[in-house]
Amino acid sequence: MDKAGFLKQRNRLDFASLREWGILIVFVLIVGILMLLSPSSFARPTNLINIVKQASINGILATGMTFVIISGGIDLSVGSIVALSGVIAASFAHPGEYPLIVPIVLSTLVGGVAGFLNGIGVAYGNIPPFIVTLGSMTMIRGMALIVARGSPVFNVTKAFENIAGGFLFDTIPYLVIYFVVTAAIGAFVLTRTVFGRRVYSVGGNEMAAKVSGIQVDRIKVAVYSISGFLAGVAGLLLASRIVSGNPTSGVSYELDAIAAVVIGGISLSGGSGKWYGAVIGALLIAVIGNGLDILNVSAHFQLLIKGAIIITAVLLDVKSKGNRT
Amino acid sequence: MKRYWMVVISALLVLALLAGCTPAGGTAKEAKYGLFMSHMTNAFTIELSDAVKSKAQELGVNLAVYDGGQDAAKQVSQVETAVNEGIAAIVIEPVSVDGIIPAIETAKKAKIPVVTVNQNISKPELVDCFVGVSHVEGGSVEMKAAMEMIGGKGKIAILLGPMGSDAQLGRSEGYKQVLASYPDVEVVFEQTANWKTDEALKLVENWLQTGTDLVAIVAQNDGMALGALKAVEDAKLGDKIKVFGLDATPDALAAVKEGRLAATVSQSTTEQGLKAMEAAVKLVKGEQVEKQIIVGHTLITKDNVDQFIK
Repeated sequence: MDKAGFLKQRNRLDFASLREWGILIVFVLIVGILMLLSPSSFARPTNLINIVKQASINGILATGMTFVIISGGIDLSVGSIVALSGVIAASFAHPGEYPLIVPIVLSTLVGGVAGFLNGIGVAYGNIPPFIVTLGSMTMIRGMALIVARGSPVFNVTKAFENIAGGFLFDTIPYLVIYFVVTAAIGAFVLTRTVFGRRVYSVGGNEMAAKVSGIQVDRIKVAVYSISGFLAGVAGLLLASRIVSGNPTSGVSYELDAIAAVVIGGISLSGGSGKWYGAVIGALLIAVIGNGLDILNVSAHFQLLIKGAIIITAVLLDVKSKGNRT
Repeated sequence: MKRYWMVVISALLVLALLAGCTPAGGTAKEAKYGLFMSHMTNAFTIELSDAVKSKAQELGVNLAVYDGGQDAAKQVSQVETAVNEGIAAIVIEPVSVDGIIPAIETAKKAKIPVVTVNQNISKPELVDCFVGVSHVEGGSVEMKAAMEMIGGKGKIAILLGPMGSDAQLGRSEGYKQVLASYPDVEVVFEQTANWKTDEALKLVENWLQTGTDLVAIVAQNDGMALGALKAVEDAKLGDKIKVFGLDATPDALAAVKEGRLAATVSQSTTEQGLKAMEAAVKLVKGEQVEKQIIVGHTLITKDNVDQFIK
């Protein structure tokens, strides 16, 4: 390599690393604007913790969705899994019936099994992920309604309520800790393990991955299982947070999770995206919702503004990456 | 090729799923009544349909229950199918005030009596009898109780149902009428949480971050009231902010009994269901039935909650 060529490459690398920060800049901008508009409420430390707490459940779903989307798939069933696992968790959390471990294990297990079956359908049934998870979304919603007999399941133990409702040192909500731990494990698996690299290869070029000896089918089953399991966790946490299992909860949560992933700059066509994308995306969605609520913006305008910000954020990100979607 | 067929078959399966199950057609010639519910996915619709079913059993008539899945087109086709099969009478909780009118017109052409329950359609002249509540009255019962308990002054917040729905508009009108005579009360927040506990929880958490000194949060249903209550209790403001709900769901009743929720309001759901089924049977027998049967709301506080807990 001659010197000119080397320099050219150096330059490209520097510029690439700058491009990556596009979405972070957008995030800081929006936080800055909200701080200016409402300095007394928005910028308070308690509110900042509150925002991270409100981002947690979506952030956990988005972490699972990150794996699926990087592998080139999509998972529409997570909102329904949230409802089913929440209903199951609440059903086994009535006072004086089962130890706390039972609802925890059952609800997350149900999520994992649902995700595993999605993966089997995609990998071995060769059915497009959109269709598999659209079908399972509908079926699982039905199961949630059947298990709950159509109405919310309430009357849960204080210990169950504490799973999501408790605080560490009386200041940090447990929800925030679950979110941080999930994101950290997700990041580690995605960037530091062989499995993580294979998820990227499967999403980038499935045929090449297959030829190079990667067992593509197994990777696919694994990513849907991860997404389902994390949706099970999210359902458990939501049930604990609202102190009841509601079979109609979680509607359109899959869209929020996909929005978080997309805002975070992870390409829907698979194969690329950073581990922190979903974290930033989930935080951005929570920041916008919190800021607009604090400013007492009407619900109708909130929808308009949220949608516009999502598109603008992604547009800026795409532009800063130089049309490389 | 094999893969192609897999896609076709799976697509068909999904279509079948989305179309939902069509109710099994009754071939028997005996008089059959139909209950058409907008959906069966919350405590209210379950209680209502259970009441209609129990009355049908008591009167010894045959009743088929159809779940409209909150889809007007689906409810229309359910009614049309039932009319074709020669149903005796229709008791319907409409998915939409306008959307299902064509189906009701079909029923009228076939001279089948129609009773609407809980919510009427926008052409009430097509209906033989409407059994329901006045949402305006419900809202005013709730807000009056709130005003009495906070002593008629202070800052309050209101959680609304889905904007533009009948219940939201009616209950808001009831709120407005009551608030008109309390000039010392200021509504500082008013926002929809779409009947949902998790949305209300998030919204109230954010409101409380502003440090506004609220004295009451008035919610248009119990699901949202319980979300608000959770946010208030998490912020350790339970003794400062009173929360009010409406619907008298079992979990709200339990919260009233524990002294956490200030009050809820019963829509007399069971009574609506019983009266609607009774009216349908009377109409089939050719008896006279009042065109409108309005069931009153009941305020439930700690003092009388025990008689509502089953």
